[in-house]
Amino acid sequence: MPRNGKLVRITLALAAAALLGALAVTSAGAAGKRSAGTLNGAGSSLVAPAVAQWGTMYTADTINYSALGSGAGIKAISARTVDFGASDAPLTKSQGQGCHGCVQIPWALTATIPVVNIPGVADHQLKLTGTVLANIYLGNITKWNDPAIKAINKGLNLPDMNITVIHRSDGSGDTYVFTNYLSKVNKAWKSKVGCATTVSWPTGVGGNKNAGVAALVKTNSGSIGYVSDFYAIQNHIAKPRLKNAAGSFVLPKISSIESAAQLVKGEKIPANNKISLTNPPKSKKYKNAWPMATFTYVLVPVQTPKAAQLKAFITFALSPAAQSAIKKLVFAPMPGVVIKAAKKTLATIHS
Amino acid sequence: MSAADLSVLQRPNDKRRKRRFVNRGMEVVAWVAAAIAVGLLGLLVWSVAKQGASQLNLDLITKPPSQNEFALNPGPQGLANAFVGTFIIVAIATAIALPIGILVAIYVNEFAPRAVKNFLTPSLDILNGIPAIVVGIFVFGLIVVGHGQSGFAGGFALSVLMIPLVARATIEVLALVPDSLREASLGLGVPRWRTTLGIVLPQTVGGILTGTVLAVARVAGETAPLLFTSSIVGTQVGWNPSHALQSVPVAIYELSESPTPADHARAWAAALVLLLFILFTSLIARWLANRSRRKIARAS
Amino acid sequence: MSTLDATAETARRPFAGRRVHLGDVLLQLVAGAAALYTLVLLGLIVYKVVQGARLSMSTFGLGFVTSVGWDPVHNAMGAGSFLFGTAITAIGALLLATPLAMGVALFLTELAPRAIRGPVTALVETLAAIPSVVIGLWGIIVLGPFLRDHVMPALHSTLGFIPLFGPYSTGSSVFTAIVVLTIMILPIISSISRELFLGVPGELKEAALGLGTTRWEMVRGVMFPYARGGVAAAMILGLGRAVGEAIAVTQVIGAGTHITWNLFNTGDTLASKIAESYQGYETNLEGSSLFYLAVILLVFSLAVNLVAQMIVRRVDRRQGRAA
Repeated sequence: MPRNGKLVRITLALAAAALLGALAVTSAGAAGKRSAGTLNGAGSSLVAPAVAQWGTMYTADTINYSALGSGAGIKAISARTVDFGASDAPLTKSQGQGCHGCVQIPWALTATIPVVNIPGVADHQLKLTGTVLANIYLGNITKWNDPAIKAINKGLNLPDMNITVIHRSDGSGDTYVFTNYLSKVNKAWKSKVGCATTVSWPTGVGGNKNAGVAALVKTNSGSIGYVSDFYAIQNHIAKPRLKNAAGSFVLPKISSIESAAQLVKGEKIPANNKISLTNPPKSKKYKNAWPMATFTYVLVPVQTPKAAQLKAFITFALSPAAQSAIKKLVFAPMPGVVIKAAKKTLATIHS
Repeated sequence: MSAADLSVLQRPNDKRRKRRFVNRGMEVVAWVAAAIAVGLLGLLVWSVAKQGASQLNLDLITKPPSQNEFALNPGPQGLANAFVGTFIIVAIATAIALPIGILVAIYVNEFAPRAVKNFLTPSLDILNGIPAIVVGIFVFGLIVVGHGQSGFAGGFALSVLMIPLVARATIEVLALVPDSLREASLGLGVPRWRTTLGIVLPQTVGGILTGTVLAVARVAGETAPLLFTSSIVGTQVGWNPSHALQSVPVAIYELSESPTPADHARAWAAALVLLLFILFTSLIARWLANRSRRKIARAS
Repeated sequence: MSTLDATAETARRPFAGRRVHLGDVLLQLVAGAAALYTLVLLGLIVYKVVQGARLSMSTFGLGFVTSVGWDPVHNAMGAGSFLFGTAITAIGALLLATPLAMGVALFLTELAPRAIRGPVTALVETLAAIPSVVIGLWGIIVLGPFLRDHVMPALHSTLGFIPLFGPYSTGSSVFTAIVVLTIMILPIISSISRELFLGVPGELKEAALGLGTTRWEMVRGVMFPYARGGVAAAMILGLGRAVGEAIAVTQVIGAGTHITWNLFNTGDTLASKIAESYQGYETNLEGSSLFYLAVILLVFSLAVNLVAQMIVRRVDRRQGRAA
């Protein structure tokens, strides 16, 4: 062989070693496609802090959760690329069909909230109404010192500054809750834009997932966005008060979320667990209710080889210990009737 | 060659000062353009170096991300799962693309009739020009739907990007081997296959290695093919390619959109490591290329 | 006909007077299988993408290509705004990168002191290999805020009468994407241009200079015409890279679905829209429409590729004739 022979021999040896290594790794993997002891999930970024907290508490399995957005969670479980999906938006009819026999189980309760970054305006200072919010996102109100905003914020020094609207660019459960609320309080929004996990935004800049929106609001002075409650607190972004149907300007807290969740008491929870908490009606009962509270769902196939593991994990998530552990992340403990309905649906899963 | 345009020489002599002025002006323009370009690019590298160096410690490579990223005090964390994942996924991609790329090159250069060759070579270029994001959705639809994400799916997606690169590099060096070598061998009675594998191919090893190393450097930084094929991962370090594995570019992508400065810091550090890796492999590729060029020059 | 061709012929026609080795047949089969694999791969990619787009193509037809807006709620989706975004970002990047790249190439071949030629060349070539996600990271954290706080206000206040420099809001904009893409394609164009300029025969350059041209006139009169075809091919390659880039663009462009000439506004390109929406689309029609975008993107890439190949072939023929 020519003098290169040595180089060739070394290369062939390395290639053989690499191939053997690849084979070894392959066979290690072939022995058990998804090792028992792991549950893979993906979806809502709203529930991600709760799932992360549960993951540190739950010892029976390792929970791998990717916050890709509710839309991605629905798609992932429909394609069975994960063991469970998570979404704040309930499945639409065609999504339900596309999932081929999935159930949605409410497993946490929190809220979507508007957030602002206005120079000179501190946390809890700004007041907004549904109509003003809708008009901002429709592009009708473009400056912070617009008369409509000033009218509800007497005494607050609002700067002569353009409003930078921030929204989600991915398929998002927070978008669903936000547009659901706006559709209920503003007819123009309902007909022009509608309610979904992805909508055609009349104006604004798009951020990817809750983290992306939080980042954009945090770094752009004069901006407004919407995130789930936890992300506002985690990133120290100013939270405005929102006027509910009963007429009070409320803050997003555990108490106001629980107040909104009273909507389920006395109502029959539908078999598909689709519950909407947005815009509770004008009544003394909901005087302190937050208008954009939401349950968030775990999506599981009715028939799945990991039924036992999933049942164990979700039962844990519904337990009082798990529900109270996430209170500090601004997840209100779910009402008893919802937990009952959730457990009932959970019992239908089998392998 | 199209006609050179020297009509300027036919202009009257008193224009000479103006011409010299224009010449000086264009020199300045060229210097300025170069300064802007090099400055911009240098600024980029400097940003990565400065921001990444402050976060560059052993933790980055040895520790996985903290199990609860939302905890108030996550403690020391790193991106070990991403580095391991990239290593495994790129290894799988290379294991697929290297043999196929070499074999395609052998076929194109040694066996293919002219008509097939004229069809295959542009096809390789077209394959090379397919955007990485399209490769990503293709592999997602082909392998991931129904079976789940995996390091294999990610490796396969990267191999689609690597094959044209390896094949093209191998074709180039195969073409450099003089026909006289082949004819001499065949004339001595050595069968075709033996000639190709034992005489011709060894001459090209340097070029193949160069091409492969460059291809590896290129795909190690690709995000789009991995977004849909190997992105749903946990925080522990995974070695099993039948599960989805985290990778460095996907980790940087996710961290880049975070509101947390600590996340940005980790992203910069990972970017610095990636950049150093690419620099290192480029240097190796260049050394290999020079080595084989010298060898061929000596042989001919 | 050389011995090589003769044996090649006989290898393809066994039993024609020469003993055929099993090894020959095997090698040809295996190598041929690999070649077939790449062709099948290519065909499969095109097939899968077109198949995915079928629902959207039958629903919207060709009108999809020009209709603007992306509204999954009302089932009205179109590629118009993304085609516009792709065109404006790619062409914008090409317009910015080409003169800079030519400047760098000229600098490296004609003007730079010998000592710095090596390091600067190495720097520019290595930069071609910077992963797009790293440039996107830099774009989000460094470039975006810088443009928003310094460049956009300056341009808007001085040149605001031009629709290109309209009102600005955040660092996520078409303009940021153009700068990011410029950085990505600049090394490609400059590397190729540099090699082309180096390849200009020294005698031609010296002849022109000897006749009394200034250096610039020599460059313009001799080097540019000589390298013209290759530079065009390099520009097309750069354009192809810019058109196909998804990650860095989606990180900085702000996800806008409209057609506007204001570079400081948000936008989206074909590739970045797919990256953004593919994981979480809501309806089947939306998903299929994303595949339709991929089909258009493929057509674009194919066209760019073919044009580049045509140019390279024409240049080769012309050089061949001159040689």
